[in-house]
Amino acid sequence: MTNVEKYTECFVKAFALRDDEDVRPLEYQSIAQWDSAGHMVLMALIEDCFEIMLETDDIIDFSSFEKGREIIKKYEVDL
Amino acid sequence: MLLKGKTAIITGTRRGIGRAVVETFAANGADIYAHARSDSPEFTEEMRSAADKYGVEIWPVFFDMTDGASMKAFVKGLMSDKREIDVLVNNAGVTHNALFNMTTEVTLREQFEVNFFSVFLLIQYISKFMVKQKSGSIINIASTAGEDGNPGKSAYGASKAAVIAMTKSIAAELGELGVRANCIAPGVTETDMLATLPSVVLEETKNSLDLRRVGLPSEIADTALFLASDLSSYITGQTIRVDGGLK
Repeated sequence: MTNVEKYTECFVKAFALRDDEDVRPLEYQSIAQWDSAGHMVLMALIEDCFEIMLETDDIIDFSSFEKGREIIKKYEVDL
Repeated sequence: MLLKGKTAIITGTRRGIGRAVVETFAANGADIYAHARSDSPEFTEEMRSAADKYGVEIWPVFFDMTDGASMKAFVKGLMSDKREIDVLVNNAGVTHNALFNMTTEVTLREQFEVNFFSVFLLIQYISKFMVKQKSGSIINIASTAGEDGNPGKSAYGASKAAVIAMTKSIAAELGELGVRANCIAPGVTETDMLATLPSVVLEETKNSLDLRRVGLPSEIADTALFLASDLSSYITGQTIRVDGGLK
């Protein structure tokens, strides 16, 4: 599984989406599941998946699928 | 065996309440990350001996609670272990006795650094494990001084009041994710911290207690066991006083 697939799977798992759902347009609070609680679950899954510890500022800035990719790259993950 | 198959992190386990919590949790089947500020062969040997006695795993871990980088390194190690963390007991703390007008800003900041900020950070890190697995119990050792306002305890009491308030908020935020958060507020307990109380004050305090004696660390540990176990599955956001009837 590529890192992009792993990253995508974190969204699918965190928000209980269908496997074939397009997660790329997702933004914070754009769907009911991505609320503050869902955000915590997503961050926990991403940290576990890539074995990284996100800085609090990055957790706050993590506002969309695309923005998240930029942030995760800072942690030397090839996305 | 209320904690069989569960893993707990307990801070400040070299002696006193923290040590009693290790003993009680181990006796109930928990595997434990036992934190102390600095390494010592005696501590490591005592933990090994307790692990053998109860047939559990106890991993001694060492870092200064105020050293964010070391705390982070510990958490990073946990991630590599790929182990679920079921219980976090934030016990490490420091106390200070001085009248309000004789408490320096430096002291006030030190109290908050250890008793509050480090606890806040460790919960931020460890709660992610619990959120992921949709279960967990966070137990913060506060103090009756955080609720009552005792003379000489303005700095210490304020830091513990902050812990109590934070715990309520965390309980409200993480409840829907299956994570509980509670405080224990020990009263006068037989620990090293007790030695910092003037003897006159100690005697007066004992006489004012319904039970007319100080509490034992094991009695605080028993309450922590209750909060860590499924016996307290519908309890969150609470502060349980273990104070012998302190008025």
